[in-house]
Amino acid sequence: MEAASIAHEHHGPPPAHRSSRVAAPTLGMMLFIISEVMIFGAFFTAYFFIRVVNHNPWPAPGTSLPEATTGINTAILISSSLTLHWALTSIKRGNRFGLKAGMTATFLLGLSFLTIQIIEYIHIGFAPRYAAQSSVFYALTGLHGCHVIIGLMLLLMVTIRAFRGHYSPESHQGMEVPGIYWHFVDVMWIIVYTTVYVI
Amino acid sequence: MALSAKLRTPGWYRAALYDVLGFAFAFGLVVLVRWLMHQHPVIDGKAITIVALIAVPLAFLIGMGAADYWFYWAIGRPTRAEDHSAHGAHTWRDYFRVNTDHKVIGIQYTVSSFFFLFVGGLLAMLIRAQLAKPGMQFLTTEQYNGVFSVHASLLIFLFVIPVFAGLANFVLPLMIGAPDMAFPRLNALSFWLLPLAGLMMLASFLAPGGSFAAGWTAYAPLSTTMPLGQLFFTIAIQLAGASSIATALNFLVTIITMRAPGMSFFRMPLLVWANFSTSLLVVIATPFIAASQFLVLLDTSLHFHFFDAYVGAGKNGNVIMYQHVFWFYSHPAVYIMMLPGFGIISEILAVKARKPIFGYRMMAFSLLAIVVLGFTVWAHHMFVSGMAPWIRIPMMITTAIIAVPTGIKIFSWLATLWRGVLHMDTPMLFALGFLTMFTLGGISGVMLAMVPFDIHVSQTYFIVAHIHYVLFGGSLMTIFAGVYYWFPKMTGRMFDDRLGKWHFWTTFIFANLTFGPMHYLGMQGMPRRVAEYAVQFAGWNLFISLCSFALGASTLIFLYNVVASWRGGPRAAANPWRAMTLEWQVSSPPPIFNFDAVPTVVGGPYEYGIPGAVHGIFKPPVEAQKATAGATAFSTPPSQESH
Amino acid sequence: MRKHPLLQMGVLGAAVTAVLLAIVLSIHWFPTDASTQAHNVRTLYDVLLIVSVPIFVIVLTVVSYSAWHFRMKPGEEDTDGPPIHGNTRLEVVWTALPAILLVGLCAYSYSVLRSNEKTHPGAMVVNVTARQFAFEFSYRNAAGREVVSPDLYLPRGRPVVLHLRSLDVVHSFFVPQFSEKLDAVPGIVTTLRITPTRAGHYPVECTELCGAGHSLMRTGAFVVSPAAFHTWLSSQKPNGPPPVGNPPKAAAQPGVPGSTTPVANPKPPKE
Ligand code: HEA
Ligand code: HEA
Ligand code: CUA
Ligand SMILES: [Cu+2]
Repeated sequence: MEAASIAHEHHGPPPAHRSSRVAAPTLGMMLFIISEVMIFGAFFTAYFFIRVVNHNPWPAPGTSLPEATTGINTAILISSSLTLHWALTSIKRGNRFGLKAGMTATFLLGLSFLTIQIIEYIHIGFAPRYAAQSSVFYALTGLHGCHVIIGLMLLLMVTIRAFRGHYSPESHQGMEVPGIYWHFVDVMWIIVYTTVYVI
Repeated sequence: MALSAKLRTPGWYRAALYDVLGFAFAFGLVVLVRWLMHQHPVIDGKAITIVALIAVPLAFLIGMGAADYWFYWAIGRPTRAEDHSAHGAHTWRDYFRVNTDHKVIGIQYTVSSFFFLFVGGLLAMLIRAQLAKPGMQFLTTEQYNGVFSVHASLLIFLFVIPVFAGLANFVLPLMIGAPDMAFPRLNALSFWLLPLAGLMMLASFLAPGGSFAAGWTAYAPLSTTMPLGQLFFTIAIQLAGASSIATALNFLVTIITMRAPGMSFFRMPLLVWANFSTSLLVVIATPFIAASQFLVLLDTSLHFHFFDAYVGAGKNGNVIMYQHVFWFYSHPAVYIMMLPGFGIISEILAVKARKPIFGYRMMAFSLLAIVVLGFTVWAHHMFVSGMAPWIRIPMMITTAIIAVPTGIKIFSWLATLWRGVLHMDTPMLFALGFLTMFTLGGISGVMLAMVPFDIHVSQTYFIVAHIHYVLFGGSLMTIFAGVYYWFPKMTGRMFDDRLGKWHFWTTFIFANLTFGPMHYLGMQGMPRRVAEYAVQFAGWNLFISLCSFALGASTLIFLYNVVASWRGGPRAAANPWRAMTLEWQVSSPPPIFNFDAVPTVVGGPYEYGIPGAVHGIFKPPVEAQKATAGATAFSTPPSQESH
Repeated sequence: MRKHPLLQMGVLGAAVTAVLLAIVLSIHWFPTDASTQAHNVRTLYDVLLIVSVPIFVIVLTVVSYSAWHFRMKPGEEDTDGPPIHGNTRLEVVWTALPAILLVGLCAYSYSVLRSNEKTHPGAMVVNVTARQFAFEFSYRNAAGREVVSPDLYLPRGRPVVLHLRSLDVVHSFFVPQFSEKLDAVPGIVTTLRITPTRAGHYPVECTELCGAGHSLMRTGAFVVSPAAFHTWLSSQKPNGPPPVGNPPKAAAQPGVPGSTTPVANPKPPKE
């Protein structure tokens, strides 16, 4: 998201020599995603120790997880990745309508995913304190939920700016970089879904 | 400026106002939630503290204006064109506001870290005073646990790690010929997170029930059953962690995308290599300590059961899991606290021995080897933890193997000294002191890797000895060396070399007298983290305490030297050490934007002893080629570009 | 007339090594050893010293010798050293040698570990329960009833297996004279093997920070003759119901969590 700031630097200092083809903001986002993956890695360590090492039954006895509804929810989130991609390709082709429509759709899909997830929490029928397994369940899905919220904020910024006429076929890094993050959030959810709900 | 205006423009006034709002928000939120959930009483001090500990620092950062730009940008409002009012320091006041100049940030980092060295050191003096005699002294056992926990946490998370980031912040962009860091605003943000983390740790002393007292390792379930103070650690770690991740990203991106023309990876000074490796460690490992503290926070505040393993309903958590997650960060962390020091030593030895670094490429590769191996040894802290026994064997082997790349570095430094022309001034003395003390600490580390021996000395003063030989004799020695070495560049003044030598000898002698005997105490069976010990250990403990006070006093020499020289020292030349690396080719202190034109790198950074050799020249690439047509023969070819 | 620097240094280094080794090997680092395990650890440590002292001396002598012999002399202010960039042969040597040394040390430590943790069929079982801030040692007497004692009594020469449990936070059981140490971890049973060899009274220390009382969480270990041990055991009045049998299978290997014999669950005392 620093794209703009880089652009500004050349008011005073000499232009920095570009020693790599990768753009700084993109590289920064990639590295940040490595950190994010590690955060999830740590939470999955907790999952591993409590489910596998401790031989605890999964899910905790007397609880059940709504694979089906969450499956549909997963589909919703994945489709948001597609609409986001559509938005990006549209602006690359200079199609502003595609950009706006795509971004709006992406944002709304993400929002509905979050809402459904919250509704699921309300109806799931057990609290984190019920058992270590339920702690892990809430921790992993909750951690991902936080990432969805951050992602939604980024998407909202991009959408606003899209409607304010920003971005063009030449310069669209401002939406490309948040886009990378959103795709990461989706991929991460597929992993969480399979490990927590499916297997 | 009218107060109302002051409250609207970024700065301390607005920060103060926002802090009040932040606290009000925390209070309101907690009360509202508890009211909605019909919990009584609606006003719960603990919950409010937790939310406030998160909300108030963030409010402060926004108030200081660390995020203004991004807000404008986010909502697509035209961002204030960069007038560089936020750049450079013209008066001392400029060090007390959000500043995007890497040189200013570097000094902000370094100075505030040293503040925490002195606080942490004073706490160490308390520790030693308490341990001077057997039997309880003036501290209660809780207070004592609190004191050494804060001592270690401050010195690790707010001194060693940030001070290295600070020094690198100042010199690294200069060294690679960049006008600034890649993300100047992120850079400012990651600095301003630190004082908040440090003050939070200190504030824990005021918390009811005293400061956090579970050691810097904060093992669960002890940390989850502690009074409120523990949460100050849990959350301060999040701030410090976020700060170091942000800085690491910044370094990596800067090094990869902003090197001057001709600065191939194998023409980078080893300090740049060192910070490159360190940043990799930070980016990959630091999320784990963040996560470990998240889990503790969830257990403490929301009654999750990650670490409750008492038999009973729902109490089927796993205690050892905390230690795995924690050490998967905290072992790499010890290299985060050493690799930048290795870089500093390489710079100093080459310049002060007037010789090229011996085996430059192996020096670079050994850094990367340490990074990789560093992730494969965490469980050597858990040999007696009751984890599955077989894990100890692979961990013993990988841990021992780490000595090989480290050894390569040590021996290459020795070879660099050999037949050189050694300028025995203060930075050099500290570098040599580091070589000897760190080797000793490293060897005791290799002994610890040997499981049966570790089983005997684990959790005893032998460990405390190892800690301080590597952290004091290793990290702190390199930090002193680096501060003296770059002092002329950072302040534009020369330090007093005679005082510097005094500082070195007192520090070197008393550090060894303080930490050496701890090996013996540990093997005799004196446990660490005890406020009171058996009479048989009395003699040595008294001796250690006395020496430690002298050691403390020795740092006062440093303090005086630095303050006096900064205010009234003789003006420093641009390149007092006749060094080749780029930061010495500009004035001291460097001009506000580092270079008028980005320099061109035509040779290796350490080509001492070669007539006419140059590292970089201030000409665009084309002329640079002509200018050095003769000299380029010796220069290492620009191989391994980072494309 | 001047001897070659390397030669001078070799001589110097050898001398220093000899002296240092003599000193460090003559220091009594350990408390008296009172178990077979402790004995092995002491030999291991001597080996470690013999390996590490020369390495340390190499570094020490090269540093101090160069500091003295290669220091800048008046008039050399502007002279530089010879531009030596490296020497592959040398670098291979100082990579390979330490590697070989270390692999050797690991192999030796491994064998020591194996013999220290050998299982003995006739070993006596003692259940150790740690809580803030005390240890509790429980035996089975001749009648198979449980006997509980605040300090540890062991018969000399008989292998013992300690099964460690914790009721609140992590504690650690350490007897310096035995050179053995292991954490007591809530939720799992950890196993420690000791063969006491010397009669005496030794300290039992908690070596894992466990709260305010950690410093004071100590008790005694008494190694006595087998006869004396049996008289002590039978003199203790048993408590609790007849035995529920030996500790569960899981107890055999540490690190297998969960499957503990249910122990009471007092919340950690708040101080
Ligand atoms: C700067 C920080 C730093 C550094 C660099 C190191 C470096 C090493 N450390 Fe240390 N360590 C700590 C900081 C550090 N450590 C801290 C803070 C703790 C305690 C944590 C706590 O519990 O509070 C700790 C604890 C610790 C333990 C756990 C002990 C216990 O709690 O039971 C172990 C065990 O293996 C260990 C091993 C090592 C090893 C093998 C190295 C190696 O990297 C050292 C390699 C260097 C050399 C070996 C010297 C130079 C090499 C040569 C001259 C070549 C030839 C040498 C040989 C062939 C031997 N360390
Ligand atoms: C970089 C890291 C670092 C540094 C620099 C130090 C520096 C010192 N440390 Fe510390 N220490 C740790 C990291 C560090 N330590 C860690 C990680 C632990 C483990 C904690 C745990 O178990 O959780 C530890 C634990 C630890 C213990 C063991 C506590 C216990 O287990 O019970 C002791 C005991 O002696 C100790 C002592 C000292 C001393 C005397 C210094 C001295 O070097 C300090 C000297 C410096 C100063 C004193 C500066 C301030 C001086 C002044 C302000 C001048 C005025 C003062 C006087 C003249 C008295 N430290
Ligand atoms: Cu129990 Cu320390
Ligand atoms: Cu380690």
